Amino acid sequence: MVDTLDSDALDADVKETMFSGKLHIFSSIGSTNTLAMQQAAKGAAHGSVYIAEEQTAGRGRGAHAWHSEPYAGLCVSILLRPQMAAADGLWLSLATGLAVQQAIENVTALVADIRWPNDLLFGGRKVGGILLEMNAEATRVRYAVIGVGINVNHRQFPPELRDLATSLRLETDRVPLRQDLLVAVLKCLADEIVGLMKPACFANARAGILARMQQKSRWVCGKQVFVDEAGGYTGVTAGLDEHGFLLVQTANGVRKVLSGGVRDRSAKG
Amino acid sequence: MNAGQLQSLKDLIEFLKQQEVGEFELEQEGLKVRLSFAGQGRSAGNNVDLGQLSHLLQYAPAASPAAVAAPAHLSNVSAGPSAVELSTAGEEAGLHIIKSPIVGTFYEASAPGAEPYIKVGDQVESGQVVCIVEAMKLMNEIESDVAGEVVKRMVASGQPVEYGQPLFAVRRR
Repeated sequence: MVDTLDSDALDADVKETMFSGKLHIFSSIGSTNTLAMQQAAKGAAHGSVYIAEEQTAGRGRGAHAWHSEPYAGLCVSILLRPQMAAADGLWLSLATGLAVQQAIENVTALVADIRWPNDLLFGGRKVGGILLEMNAEATRVRYAVIGVGINVNHRQFPPELRDLATSLRLETDRVPLRQDLLVAVLKCLADEIVGLMKPACFANARAGILARMQQKSRWVCGKQVFVDEAGGYTGVTAGLDEHGFLLVQTANGVRKVLSGGVRDRSAKG
Repeated sequence: MNAGQLQSLKDLIEFLKQQEVGEFELEQEGLKVRLSFAGQGRSAGNNVDLGQLSHLLQYAPAASPAAVAAPAHLSNVSAGPSAVELSTAGEEAGLHIIKSPIVGTFYEASAPGAEPYIKVGDQVESGQVVCIVEAMKLMNEIESDVAGEVVKRMVASGQPVEYGQPLFAVRRR
């Protein structure tokens, strides 16, 4: 049986959130993030959600392709117009990783690891990826798009991805319906966003994100890593700074990772 | 240059006069100042007239701060007009500086191998995306907030940038 999405049921399930009445489901489009950014530039509303049963041109960081089979993965992009400074928009990156981790746990009872800033892994293989795009002035974010891709029903991957990717079906017998997973993702994300967007809650939300990253990611402290940045370097992860950037203890002192590209040191060979 | 900066410069000139410094150069954070004092048969320092400040405005790259003080007896300096040159990324040159709103990695194109958003010599419009600054897998589109000609790119693609760091100089039209 094909695991399709039911837009009416979805909308009913998220009616308490900022996404109510703003879900857009497509059978096949190039990239939900590209569409969401285009719609944002045209004035689409805060909380608009773009979902694809199939992505034909899914994107990751640095234009990496995101493998997508029809009805196998969850491909969703969320448009936000948060009242915050551009620098504060970075908190959305960590918050989204935590939200997706929680959503997967809620529907499968499995706890994925988070590779800073927000890759979701089982056994070192990627089950979920996140890409955020933002358009901002110095003092305010005009709009931000949060793209989430989760491998759900894939029974296998192409040979070049087998050591890198996994799916919920490959990890558990309790394969969730994509619909249930999507609702969980949207609800968990809504909780995170509400905390970050209310000025009175912002400090607490940031502290909570830092604390949960420390607790729920095995990559934040004590992990031997290779960092593919600034020419590449190795070291041991040494926690997060107050802005959420990953610190790595190297032979030449502590360095701050800006952009990701953090890999298990053993994987570098 | 704002009033505070001008006052700081006046104080600096007073100090240099007292110290009988012949030439002075300072370069930091987009501001470049070069002072040379010259006189004819009397204390040349007295010839420095702040009203005669000539403002030469050109962008000074964010190089490591360099202050060069060359002490000299002003009476020994050859005759010539007082000269004070100021170089700054200010508005008087018509140059507008596009700065990074976040810490991150600067990318000139949307993807490796793709065409840069803009090149030196291009005309840009206000609101046009000029580059990406990425941090934590968040791709931040940076827009030009003025229309004009791109005269300088200050950062190489793939380089880390700090909050507020200049990225491009644009000559308004």
